[in-house]
Amino acid sequence: MNEVRNLDLFGGTISSLEKGLSYATLKNKTIAQNIANVDTPNYKTKEVSFKDVLNDAKQANIPAYRTDARHYDFKINIGGSGVYSNENFRSRANGNAVNMDAEQAKLAENTIYYNALIDRVSSKFSTLNNVVKGGR
Amino acid sequence: MAINPITFMSPAQSVNEVNVQNQLTPANAQQQFADTLKEAIASVNEHQKTSDTMTQKLINGGDVDLFEVMIAAQKASVTLNTTIEVRNKAVEAYQEIMRMNV
Amino acid sequence: MSIFHSMNTTASALTSQRLRMDVISSNIANVDTTRAKQVNGEWEPYRKKSVTLKEQQGQFSNFLNMAIGKTEKIGAGNGVKVSSIKEDTETPFKLVYDPSHPDANAEGYVQMSNVDVLKEMVDLISASRSYEANITAFNANKSMLTKALEIGKG
Repeated sequence: MNEVRNLDLFGGTISSLEKGLSYATLKNKTIAQNIANVDTPNYKTKEVSFKDVLNDAKQANIPAYRTDARHYDFKINIGGSGVYSNENFRSRANGNAVNMDAEQAKLAENTIYYNALIDRVSSKFSTLNNVVKGGR
Repeated sequence: MAINPITFMSPAQSVNEVNVQNQLTPANAQQQFADTLKEAIASVNEHQKTSDTMTQKLINGGDVDLFEVMIAAQKASVTLNTTIEVRNKAVEAYQEIMRMNV
Repeated sequence: MSIFHSMNTTASALTSQRLRMDVISSNIANVDTTRAKQVNGEWEPYRKKSVTLKEQQGQFSNFLNMAIGKTEKIGAGNGVKVSSIKEDTETPFKLVYDPSHPDANAEGYVQMSNVDVLKEMVDLISASRSYEANITAFNANKSMLTKALEIGKG
């Protein structure tokens, strides 16, 4: 007897779109945090790594290989979201490293990226609905 | 090396088995359709539950993103529509058959 | 971390910048105050106040949930807060020669507050620009959320 196939209407594109949206949302939070802290002394810019978010953080729970019992076990931290602090050296007198122009540009770019993905997702669901209803 | 003769199968029996493997009997077709429908309903239930969980998290201000909630709701809606249409077609087919003059 | 996390971050920044502007306004208003408070029985002029901003850490419950594996996302941070409003005790008071002033000392000098109006104006412009940048971030976030609400209505 033939095997029954799984009813999976939402493969490939839709799941990629979801990951992209996840990344865009996290990036938006990071940019908001950077803009909020533009006057905080010793604040370093935060960024999101695209690859980390796409690779689904759950798989990144690598325990630390410790050669000394006093070393920290960073198992919890790596299973994180892909946000990291950018320890760059372009900072102002108070140690703040936020580049306001770059952040504004990133904000505009990210918003358009997010809107584009939402559009695509919406359209894919419309298509699916149309197909299922047979054009009625 | 002695070759064991095939004694537990008669020629007619082996032909019948081959036929059964290549053709779909009505019973099998029904079974497959029933399984597909069950799969579809189980899938609908899963998606509805996921959508409900996400909506609950949204209400409670929990750890969820807005687009996740909306996408889960859409998925639930599409699978539900799919299952409804499958059922409709099955019922239509049944009614067609019942309308046939014997 | 709800869907409004980003808005909360921006809101915290707006509050902090507004508080900063209030402190600056207070400084500018009191630039001529020679009797701000009494120290050892003598009147001291107004000392300039300044705010210190600090990045707001997550609540303890967030870290706890992360540690026991309930939440996966560490997240981008929780905004900014004013950690303290301090008086400037290092900059000396300005001495202005005005023997007719009621607060003049024996040599005719009056101690005026250590507020430098030009510096305060620059700070005010900076706070203002930061405030506007945060408003832009807020609007962008709002438009993203509104757009997400329209999934499936196309």
